Amino acid sequence: MTLHFLHRHVLEDHLAGFETRPNPNHVTVYRRPLILSVLAHAGQEAAVFAHLAGMPGMDVRVCGPGEWMIVSAAGSRRAEEVAEELGALGGASVIDQSDGKVLLSIGGPSVRKILAKCLAVDLHPDVFAEGQSANMLCCHVAANLARTGLEMFEITVPRSLAGSVFEELMEMGREFALTASFSGG
Amino acid sequence: MASLITCPHCGTRPKEEFAIRGDAEPRRPSAGDRDEAWLGYVYTRDNRKGRIHEYWHHAGGCRRWLVVERDNLTHAVYGVTDAAQFPKAEAAE
Amino acid sequence: MTSYRLDAGGAVNRAQALEFSFDGRSYKGLQGDTLASALLANDQVLMGRSFKYHRPRGPVTAGSAEPNALMTIGSGARAEPNARATTVELYQGLVAASQNRWPSLNHDFGAVNSLLSPFLGAGFYYKTFMWPAAFWEKVYEPLIRRAAGLGKLVLQADPDRYEKSWAHCDLLVVGAGPAGLMAALVAGRAGMRVILADEGFQAGGSLLCESASVGGQPAAAFAGTVLDELAGLPNVTLMARTTVFGWYDDMVFGSVERVQKHLASPSPDLPVERLWRIVAKRAILASGAEERPLVFGGNDRPGVMTATAARTYLNRYGVAVGGKVAVFTNGGAGYRTAADLAVRGVEVTAIIDARGQSSDVGPAGVRVIRNAGVISTRGKRRIDGLVLERSGFEEAIDCDALAMSGGWSPIVHLMCQRGAKPVWSDEAQAFLAPDVGSGFVAAGSSAGLTSLSACLRDGADKAATIAAELGFSAVPAVPVEVEGEYDASFAPVWYVPGAKDKAFVDFQNDVAVQELGIAQREGFRHIEHTKRYTTAGMATDQGKLGGVNTAGIVAAMRGVTPAEIGTTTFRPFYTPVSFGALAGAAQGSHAAPVRTSPLHGWAKKNGASFVESGLWYRSAWFGRDGEKGWRDSVDREVRTVRAHAGLCDVSTLGKIEIFGTGAAEFLNRIYCNAFLRLPIGKARYGLMLREDGIVFDDGTTSRLGDNHYVMTTTTAYAAEVMTHLEFCAQTFWPELDVRFVSVSDQWAQMSLAGPKARIIMSRVVQDDLSDAAFPFLSARSVTLRGWLKARLFRISFSGELAYELAVPAGLGEAVADAIMDAGREEGICAYGVEALNVLRIEKGFVTHSELDGRTTADDVGLGRMMAMQKPDFIGKRLSTRFGLTAADRLQLVGLKPVEPDKQIQAGAHLLKEHAQPSLANDQGFVSSACFSPTLDSFVALAMLKSGRERMGERINVWDALRRVEVPVDVCSPVFVDPDNIKLHA
Repeated sequence: MTLHFLHRHVLEDHLAGFETRPNPNHVTVYRRPLILSVLAHAGQEAAVFAHLAGMPGMDVRVCGPGEWMIVSAAGSRRAEEVAEELGALGGASVIDQSDGKVLLSIGGPSVRKILAKCLAVDLHPDVFAEGQSANMLCCHVAANLARTGLEMFEITVPRSLAGSVFEELMEMGREFALTASFSGG
Repeated sequence: MASLITCPHCGTRPKEEFAIRGDAEPRRPSAGDRDEAWLGYVYTRDNRKGRIHEYWHHAGGCRRWLVVERDNLTHAVYGVTDAAQFPKAEAAE
Repeated sequence: MTSYRLDAGGAVNRAQALEFSFDGRSYKGLQGDTLASALLANDQVLMGRSFKYHRPRGPVTAGSAEPNALMTIGSGARAEPNARATTVELYQGLVAASQNRWPSLNHDFGAVNSLLSPFLGAGFYYKTFMWPAAFWEKVYEPLIRRAAGLGKLVLQADPDRYEKSWAHCDLLVVGAGPAGLMAALVAGRAGMRVILADEGFQAGGSLLCESASVGGQPAAAFAGTVLDELAGLPNVTLMARTTVFGWYDDMVFGSVERVQKHLASPSPDLPVERLWRIVAKRAILASGAEERPLVFGGNDRPGVMTATAARTYLNRYGVAVGGKVAVFTNGGAGYRTAADLAVRGVEVTAIIDARGQSSDVGPAGVRVIRNAGVISTRGKRRIDGLVLERSGFEEAIDCDALAMSGGWSPIVHLMCQRGAKPVWSDEAQAFLAPDVGSGFVAAGSSAGLTSLSACLRDGADKAATIAAELGFSAVPAVPVEVEGEYDASFAPVWYVPGAKDKAFVDFQNDVAVQELGIAQREGFRHIEHTKRYTTAGMATDQGKLGGVNTAGIVAAMRGVTPAEIGTTTFRPFYTPVSFGALAGAAQGSHAAPVRTSPLHGWAKKNGASFVESGLWYRSAWFGRDGEKGWRDSVDREVRTVRAHAGLCDVSTLGKIEIFGTGAAEFLNRIYCNAFLRLPIGKARYGLMLREDGIVFDDGTTSRLGDNHYVMTTTTAYAAEVMTHLEFCAQTFWPELDVRFVSVSDQWAQMSLAGPKARIIMSRVVQDDLSDAAFPFLSARSVTLRGWLKARLFRISFSGELAYELAVPAGLGEAVADAIMDAGREEGICAYGVEALNVLRIEKGFVTHSELDGRTTADDVGLGRMMAMQKPDFIGKRLSTRFGLTAADRLQLVGLKPVEPDKQIQAGAHLLKEHAQPSLANDQGFVSSACFSPTLDSFVALAMLKSGRERMGERINVWDALRRVEVPVDVCSPVFVDPDNIKLHA
């Protein structure tokens, strides 16, 4: 007997009923991203980071000293395979967090005004440049924010709190007609 | 309303991202130390006013324990170091 | 007609008339008006009644210091009391109502309080209403509250939205008057990130009511030119209608933006107010100066206002405050107001100058009376004349408005909010801003400057200095020529002798000069005591208008300088801020984040009722048709688990992944029991202590690989345990190679418990689950039928044969469904945390009800877990203290009522069988209690003095709250399966 398990995104109910035509300010929720926590062991930080930075198709997110998330929004690789590759390095411990985190991107001309209501960090491009990422409180929840473009950011939040963060984000985007949809849908 | 701490790993953040544990000076005694040493470490704090070292946990950021040197009367912050570096930094002084 | 709209002039839009109502009557105003200017244009000077004596009052100012013209704006749930009519922006359909009067503003019954004023002086609360004591709550307080007061709050939910936002800048400029505009311009041109905030709905400050010309244009036009340039600079943010109300630590400024307060029907997509936390590298205070009222007999009569107010209504709003205006002044500002009035064709009946001589000259044809003072005013609901005294002779003068000027007080409020006190200057005869370092400096009239050109220059200079310090190259500001400015210097007059009527220092709280005297005579001499005894400076305006006069008068009474008296403490907020703005969006469903389990949807469709547990929503029980209450459901769930099987969501437990060659040693130091030799593929129950020897948390930790573990914590302590691990690893033993990360959200975790658990789990998991292959405390990676990798743990919190299965969160609901399907014919049910609690009480397992921060491992019967042979672990040293090992400590026991249907409640106390309830006789307490369907009896776990020695003893459970006493027998805390036969099945 083979059982079939249907994967369910935690924001499924939150996004039901949204118009799919995106406005200039828009939130994209990635359906099945690949997200892994990578922890470097003492003395191995630089080597591990160098390897992560060179991995094709994977974005590196800074969490803290010697700790990163590697993210593939498209989720094109398998977690086990990536974990094996990194495990072979020796200096890093890796754990799949693809189901523990929700990855969404928010972008548009008013994105900084919206995010200023959600988090306290200065997002002026001279201060928080493209490619930069950090853990911070977003809508009262410990999250990771990355700048992926001048007016484009990605937010990673714990799954159990994603509904709350999403609703808060949409509320703060209300004055700018913020819309939301799943990626590719 | 707000006050800010500059985390050496994450940058300037509001106090909401941190949890304060208190005086960072006391050192955990070794298991064989005298009762007085353990009493002092677990229960006794000077509660000094002025420039002190405090443990702050960057719970909403990098989750590192930091040692913030600040004046607890004026909240003037003199420096923030990673707690793992703190005993070393002190020895260097 | 007394006050009226002039035919031309002002920054109001005469093409755009706005209708509004005041106390039910309709009026017309103009776009650009404040409510006060519109009412004055309609000859409505009476705008309120005073707090204590209910005296008729009109506006004294044209700005945010206004003490008198307080009104309720809006209606229904949107009605907002105590709005200052002088700052309320007029809009079409505005509804305003006066306050603190009955039955009407014109005929206020409360005005009889004026006759009682001899009894209502300083300290009257403390003196008059003392006896009999019983009268205070029932008689005096309600009476005083009704008679004295401000507007009434609406007891309906606020329908509007609020928000909070952060902003960051190099330079924050507070106030967009002459100094602020120039500062923002210089900084903006230098390329700095500038925020320019102004409380008004139109930026420009005093330039909007200034008759001088600046840079060859009228002052207001100059302000417009600068604002246009600033609006074009991408690095400059203009924030109108934004009051910077507080200066906080680390250069964070609190501000409130009134986004939609000026709209009759606010858009639901926007907040009505937005709270800003502005983080600034530097800040310039350019909040201007407040004109001081003069303190003379009858100075509170409607129509008496500051000269600047009269001039503002004239020049900015095109409103003459009277047809015959008298001026009473001690400096140049009064002359300037007289001149502006005369130019606009308003009759000035006299300029009364308190000074003997000055170089100031009145407008042509206007009588100047020097060395004179006003001693009383006439008029019922507005002034219709005054009496002055000069060299011992009195003279009556007709007027229908009186503009008074008592000199200037720089507005230094913000700079004094973090402990620094303002500094008295004999030269300026004012309190000036203290030196608070280079981060925050005052400019213009808030720095004590008195001429327009000096203010413009100062703003530009201060900004240029800051730009240079921050490494920006500032373009030197083009000097701006000012034509027609005046000398605003003055000679201080704290109060005018010979008053024939009350001379008020604090208008809003009705504090007159003699009351300051009473306070001094009765010993309340410190200015903070004087304030509290007289209530001077305690109103919603917090002494903005009267504070400096209070200090000056007290100084004069005591024969010292105001420097010796000082000011009272400045605190946020500069002007009142609504609770809505402070709460922001954090109301209703946004009040706190909600955490939902990956099995939330599964629980919902199985009929769960949820219970809040921290931020989590946990399934509490699963009601079915025909069940009358939660107890029915819980009893059924417990019976089903004991007889068949049940599935429970335990995803909320904390889960921490631990890696490293030092992980085993780390765990060995963290837990009180041994962890070094835990085999791979095994779980172990672990107990963590605090450093003081008391139990901190419990849970299981499983070894998944050589250097890889996964720890579970209780739901409640998940965050605390993670923080504790981080503290220990980072500060105690940074040399240990151990890393960890929370994976609490990665896994949906479900507990399948009951005699049928193995049969059901085997239908889902393809690995061999026989007791030999997967015995108690196994912890391994398994494969669900088909393909899915999962983690399976054979652990039990019910005493039954049980498994905890962890699958990736997104698949949790599907897997739970599959288990329910697989168990249908075995009679499986979903069970919640209530049944879980009953199951664990029956089995004598402890939770934080027992591990309550006071119990040791031995107290709860886990003393044998303590691995004292370990060289060290957290809590080891102090756990051996005498107090923690004493024989008479409270110990965990079970309780069974003598009559099984007698309920025991947690929290009840324990007494020896015939003992009287008292602290001395207290024997312990009930920690957890429930009805046990398995035993068909109420049962409880309790902490009882020397409990383990007292098995079989009959004691009393005494519940003082519910007045119940239940005789019970002390027994083992393990009510079911004491030999663990079911557990190991």
